[in-house]
Amino acid sequence: MAEVSLKNVVKRFGVLEVIHGADLHVKDGEFVVFVGPSGCGKSTLLRMIAGLEDISGGEINIAGRAVNDVEPADRGIAMVFQSYALYPHMTVEENLSFGLRMNGNPKEDTERRVRGVADILQISELMKRRPKQLSGGQRQRVAIGRAIVREPQVFLFDEPLSNLDAELRVQMRVEISKLHKQLGTTMIYVTHDQTEAMTLADRIVVLRGGNIEQVGTPLELYDDPANQFVAGFVGSPKMNFIKARVVAGEGSSVRVALASDETKVLALPVAQAKPEPGAAVMLGVRPGHFRDAGQGDVDLTVTVDVAEHLGNTSYVYATLAGQEQLVIERPESRNGADSDTLSVALSTRNILLFDGNGQRLR
Amino acid sequence: MPNRNRIAYAFLAPYLLIFATFWLWPIINSFLISFQNTRVNPWQFSFASNWGRLFGDPAFYNALYNTLIILVIQVPVMIAIATVMAVMLNSPLLKARALFRFAFFAPVVVGEVAYAAVFRLMFNMDFGIINKMLNSIGLASVSWFADANAAMALLIIAVTWRWAGYNAIIILAGLQSIPEDVYEAATLDRVSKIRQFFYITLPLLKPIILFCVVLSVIGTMQLFTEPFLITNRGGPGGGTETLGLLLYRQGFTSLNFGYASAIAYAMTVLAVAISLLNLWLGRERQ
Amino acid sequence: MKSKSRSLFLRKLALHGLLVPLAIVWMFPLWMMLVFSTMPDHGIFSPDIELLPSGNFLTNFRNLQADTDFVGAMFISIVVAVTYTVLSVFLTSMAGWALARYRFHGRSMVVAIILGTITLPYFVVVIPQFIMVAREFGLANTWVALIVPPLFNSLGVLFMRQSFSMMPGELFDAARVEGVREWQIFLRIAMPLARPTIAALSIILFLASWNNYLWPLLINSRPGMMTAPVALGTLIGLTKVSWGGIMAGAVLLTAPMLAVFVFLQRHFIAGISAGAIK
Repeated sequence: MAEVSLKNVVKRFGVLEVIHGADLHVKDGEFVVFVGPSGCGKSTLLRMIAGLEDISGGEINIAGRAVNDVEPADRGIAMVFQSYALYPHMTVEENLSFGLRMNGNPKEDTERRVRGVADILQISELMKRRPKQLSGGQRQRVAIGRAIVREPQVFLFDEPLSNLDAELRVQMRVEISKLHKQLGTTMIYVTHDQTEAMTLADRIVVLRGGNIEQVGTPLELYDDPANQFVAGFVGSPKMNFIKARVVAGEGSSVRVALASDETKVLALPVAQAKPEPGAAVMLGVRPGHFRDAGQGDVDLTVTVDVAEHLGNTSYVYATLAGQEQLVIERPESRNGADSDTLSVALSTRNILLFDGNGQRLR
Repeated sequence: MPNRNRIAYAFLAPYLLIFATFWLWPIINSFLISFQNTRVNPWQFSFASNWGRLFGDPAFYNALYNTLIILVIQVPVMIAIATVMAVMLNSPLLKARALFRFAFFAPVVVGEVAYAAVFRLMFNMDFGIINKMLNSIGLASVSWFADANAAMALLIIAVTWRWAGYNAIIILAGLQSIPEDVYEAATLDRVSKIRQFFYITLPLLKPIILFCVVLSVIGTMQLFTEPFLITNRGGPGGGTETLGLLLYRQGFTSLNFGYASAIAYAMTVLAVAISLLNLWLGRERQ
Repeated sequence: MKSKSRSLFLRKLALHGLLVPLAIVWMFPLWMMLVFSTMPDHGIFSPDIELLPSGNFLTNFRNLQADTDFVGAMFISIVVAVTYTVLSVFLTSMAGWALARYRFHGRSMVVAIILGTITLPYFVVVIPQFIMVAREFGLANTWVALIVPPLFNSLGVLFMRQSFSMMPGELFDAARVEGVREWQIFLRIAMPLARPTIAALSIILFLASWNNYLWPLLINSRPGMMTAPVALGTLIGLTKVSWGGIMAGAVLLTAPMLAVFVFLQRHFIAGISAGAIK
């Protein structure tokens, strides 16, 4: 059981700085997910916590102890890798016990721990097989088992599910979640898949270009993103962004006109720094937040490009005024063919406002 | 972080130790010795007794000439044969592939001494099987060991036999790394098999063939055992004396280490020149 | 359709028509080695063409053993080749591992040295190497002199480096996280995974040591400390010597290597072609 904290952590490869001063506090027993597009630095940050990459600046604490100069093995962590990293020439049993054996752990204790892990993960009947003879899901289980056997204070996962097919990924996701409940250990998990992040995390850390963009619970990020990047990254399908222009500020709100049709004006609440009239802004609308025409504040007519029918809902891919692409989620209707145009309404209650730099205006 | 420098050096240490003791030091020492008169005791600095002598020594020019002649004839012939072997071994039409592979590759494992002995017997002027066979089809015996040209030819035949398969293995590996679909596409374009060889196979093999040429040139340049054992110490009368043999004679028969070192460095200059030539040829292709 | 199968037949015919004679020519010296080793000396030097083996191998072998202690030389060759192979595999693997898996100061210099020595003529090294080992260290006619100096092997390091750098890095990271020491990672994970490469390299190293002639000729020329090729080489050119015996020796030197070649052909070919794949 341990807390992990990062204080102004910097990583440089030569002259190239890839992590620009990360600050983060992971609470004891918390499940934190690092998420972001590839190249955002999430794996590098995780490997720095593991001790596989050295720390160019700042400090990493695990269980209240600065670990910058501590060997990976002495940090009280265990790690599950993307490629599973199972030793191909050893059986499952040998894979599980290798680390303990190499460190002179008493034989009976090693055996007891390996048996315990095999029970938890239901891999007892695979003990004599080699990684090559296992399915993807079984390998994943063994890789997780190898981490559990160490009885670490912190688990680190580096995109552990990205090599599995979709169905298995969902299944393993649930198992990892259960495991966290069962063990109650601190877990830090890296993924590029926002669905995994949303479903697993107590708190999500969104990274981009070596910076932490926002830290929060899944719902905080979904409902109250700090900027356009987070808003676009969290949620599936992605949030729609509609260009608009500030007309005037009045009291605690601003009036904005859609760029595609300046006659359509919305009054949105903004408490802090109001944008100047004439400033370009972006309206964020989640696909599910469009209403039927007439039931919102402003009606839009869009040209339908494609409609995907999923049975319970359908996603309409549409174009607004010949230029802006939108995705609109609708309850599935089974009466008749798809029409060429669609009228929907925007409601000010469900619109997020972003300034020209992508920062949220609240 | 653990000090990766220290760990890396620890893994490298034994190897680098051997390198420093048995290679680096000798290479430097060799250069120093080449400027010393090693026929007086103690050795004295002298440019003339080695480097000076080298450029006026007919024995050196003879050895250089012999070495270059062998090089210029043997290497192209062998690489051509090796390429033919590799291409034919790679043909899907071939039957009894394993047998042919054995026939061509087996000489690679045969030691220099063993094959030198066989070639000496086979080419024996009076009782050798080769001359006997020549006679049986009405040709005259060849004086393999008495005629300098014939002796050179014999060395070229021997070295080619020993090393063609080695090069064929390398070229075959190169052939097998050419994707099959390139040929399938060419076949659909109605490109004949012969043209496929000249316009697809050879250009793609060029880097590998160049590599083989460089390896062979450096190997042949150091030719020693064959003229030492087959043509009996570079006979007849120095007609097959190579640089390697001259160096051996100077260094280990006359114990004139200084002069032998100068010859060795002359060989190095040649090797470096050839390597640079290869680099230049390699660059041209990009 | 008919013309296609006909042209296929003609191509097959041309292929084999060229290859069969070439193969016969190429096998001829090895065949004659076998034939000579079984013929009495007066048979070898008779005017008749003999192309088939007879039954004189053992007599020839006895003559060889009378000319030089070939059995003793074979023993030395075996011990040297085995020791050399084991040591060299370890040294080149360790160096290859360091170059493949660690970033350290001077790494590119070490690589440059190794590449540079490949094209360096051995004769530049051999004279001072001889002076040092024989004169300064006084190690002529010893096991150490035979085994240690050739341990520097550039191709081996490059070969092993290639093999180690193709392994997934996460495997070694996983072990590091588990607290496995670098030395153990090398021994327990990297080396077992490099087994096919090690097999290929071992065969090449063993063959090189077994057939090595120049260095053993220079450094161990005392009867009783000669390797088998050197012992056999001393007989070639002598006037009163059993040529059947020399051929028996040549067969004894060659046959084990041919067996290695036949049974481990895959590793053998991998070892030779590795040099070209960069």
